[in-house]
Amino acid sequence: MAGLFRGSTVVTAIVAVALGAGAATWATRTTDQATRPAGPRTTAGKPDFGGVWQTVNEAQWDLQAHAARPAVVTQRGVYDYDYARVPAAPVLALGAAGGVPGSLGVVQGDGQIPYTPEALAVKQQNGENWIDRDPELKCYLPGIPRAMYMPYPFTIVQGTDKIHMTFAFSNAARVVHMNAVEGPPDDTYMGHSVGRWEGDTLVVDVRNFNGKNWFDRAGNHHSDALHLVERFTPLGPDAIRYDVTIEDPKVFTRPWTISMPLYRRLEPNATVLDYNCIDFAEEFMYGNLRKTPLVTHWEGETMIVDITRKIPPGDKLHEWYRR
Amino acid sequence: MARRILEALGVAVVMMALAVFLQDEASGQTPVPSGSGGANAAKAGPAPTTPWGQPDLQGIWLDEFDTPFERPAQNADKEFFTDEERTARDDRAIADAGRNERAGLGSAQDVAGAYNAVFTSAKPTGRRTSLVVDPPNGRIPGLTPETQERNRIDQEFRLALLQNTSTCKNAAPGCRGGKYGPPSPRLDETAPFYNTQRMNRHNGPEDQSMGDRCMLGTTPDFNGFRRIVQGPRLVAMGVDTGQGQGYQRVVYLSGSHPPKTVQLRHGDSRGRFEGQTLVVETTNFSQTFPYRGSSENLILVERFTRLNAKTLEYSATLTDPTVWTAPWTVTQELTAQNDEQNRIYYEPRCHEGNYGLPSLLVGARLDDKAFRAGTGPNPASHDTATCVNELPAAREN
Repeated sequence: MAGLFRGSTVVTAIVAVALGAGAATWATRTTDQATRPAGPRTTAGKPDFGGVWQTVNEAQWDLQAHAARPAVVTQRGVYDYDYARVPAAPVLALGAAGGVPGSLGVVQGDGQIPYTPEALAVKQQNGENWIDRDPELKCYLPGIPRAMYMPYPFTIVQGTDKIHMTFAFSNAARVVHMNAVEGPPDDTYMGHSVGRWEGDTLVVDVRNFNGKNWFDRAGNHHSDALHLVERFTPLGPDAIRYDVTIEDPKVFTRPWTISMPLYRRLEPNATVLDYNCIDFAEEFMYGNLRKTPLVTHWEGETMIVDITRKIPPGDKLHEWYRR
Repeated sequence: MARRILEALGVAVVMMALAVFLQDEASGQTPVPSGSGGANAAKAGPAPTTPWGQPDLQGIWLDEFDTPFERPAQNADKEFFTDEERTARDDRAIADAGRNERAGLGSAQDVAGAYNAVFTSAKPTGRRTSLVVDPPNGRIPGLTPETQERNRIDQEFRLALLQNTSTCKNAAPGCRGGKYGPPSPRLDETAPFYNTQRMNRHNGPEDQSMGDRCMLGTTPDFNGFRRIVQGPRLVAMGVDTGQGQGYQRVVYLSGSHPPKTVQLRHGDSRGRFEGQTLVVETTNFSQTFPYRGSSENLILVERFTRLNAKTLEYSATLTDPTVWTAPWTVTQELTAQNDEQNRIYYEPRCHEGNYGLPSLLVGARLDDKAFRAGTGPNPASHDTATCVNELPAAREN
């Protein structure tokens, strides 16, 4: 099934038909101007992306196309079919609220992520060990591109030579340098971003990652060799087309691209309320180190949940929460 | 132990690199009275404007001078140092940088004191005799009776946790107001109020200071580097402070504050330009991130004025009638940093690298275990809270 954003940019003539048929294919810029009002511009004539934005899709769960799933961590059900798995113990009590919505995926081309065989095995292990390995659960800085499509709003403040994005999730931030600036002396979670304009598209080159982040909750990962080229193209005043070309020679056999719209939060007084989760994650991360256990037991109508903590041996204590 | 010192020293390590640079930069400057843009006025260009016509506040800013936070009583009426006084203070600091300061040789405190002046900042003396400029005597107003009582109850609990330690046995400053005795029956009580400081107990993360938990950065902040990025409708401020405990603020130039029930760590900021000054009002603070004891009722009004190309005047008025008997104001002049050097490149990743907190807790659990097995002392007899003695006043910004 053709994804929304398959293949290269659609030519005008085909677009006219496709739009008429209701498919939401990307239009070229020239068609944009005919069908959508212009967005705000800076005094230099460039698109002004300032405001409160949020992605509305399922990329945060899994970048690839997938049917809905009962949970992020599942176990074998009664039948040994993939489609008959059931939520695993850590998330069972959430019922249908713990499920994963389906998605056509945001990976362009054949929809595959071109892992090396070793890296693919790591991805699969990541998925199985989501609870222990996903940095999101520890409220770690989410990295790029993940921060751009987590289900939280973010602000874009477009200054004269810097663009500052602040994310609700853990008050994370990135600064896109539009002027010449030294790179960081160390690798980072959020990368080092340098931007330039190509017509109305903001092109951002991101490097200097420390390799400690994931792309999503499905265990898709990268190394410290990650290099991104992002493209922000206005789709009218209230949406941005966000494309990311991803390369990482230690993990992927070739570059690959994801693509999605970013939507402006249009309600009056749209405000980003920080999701400061460090203390939300403390019981999860350190509850096993309390003198007296705190969260141990819950009882509902049909279920009792008892939690037993353990301290990993020796160095594994830090290895667990550093991974 | 080291974690607490790191927290208390705040930006000290960040400042280290500045020390040599600033010695050269500042030595030739003449202090200039207020209103004329400070020491940089003579050499700096005019205050720039953004292309859309607002005063341009953008850049990386830092207070490059050492100014006492409050004014000692003898300087009550004196807002500025003379040139001679500034030079004298700098000469004293250079002559005795505190590198040889030690507690009593061989004492527990001496052994615990891992940091000396190499780790502290050595900024040249600023023009002002204090950062607090109002009340006019340069001192923070008194606390309300409710807050004084709350502090008393809180301190009584902390002292109880120290009761069985040598700090109290020796009547050291950390035990002031307390007494020595057997382990207190209050040892496993919940703290009377939400704890944000170090205390002599480690039953879980909530017993640790906010710095130990990597949640140290508060608004306002007068210490760190600040990067301001400004758009026509939004202003972003990234604050690099407390060794990786920085944070971001966004000032909305429109809209209104959320309902009071929405409490935010750095509050909600709404700004407008009044002439050349950006006036920002911040409310909706959370009670778990106090600044010098402020509560969720804090109203912070900040004023940002670009005096010239190199200088930003920053002024902050704190009003919290549940805590202080009057509002008070801090004013400081911030100097533009070299943007190409991009001095904010350390993202605030304290939490991601927080080996200290779990290690502290594991250590406490091992102490508990040894005590239960009869192979170790009662953990209540160890002082793991006040091992750092009083710090110079400037560190308390």
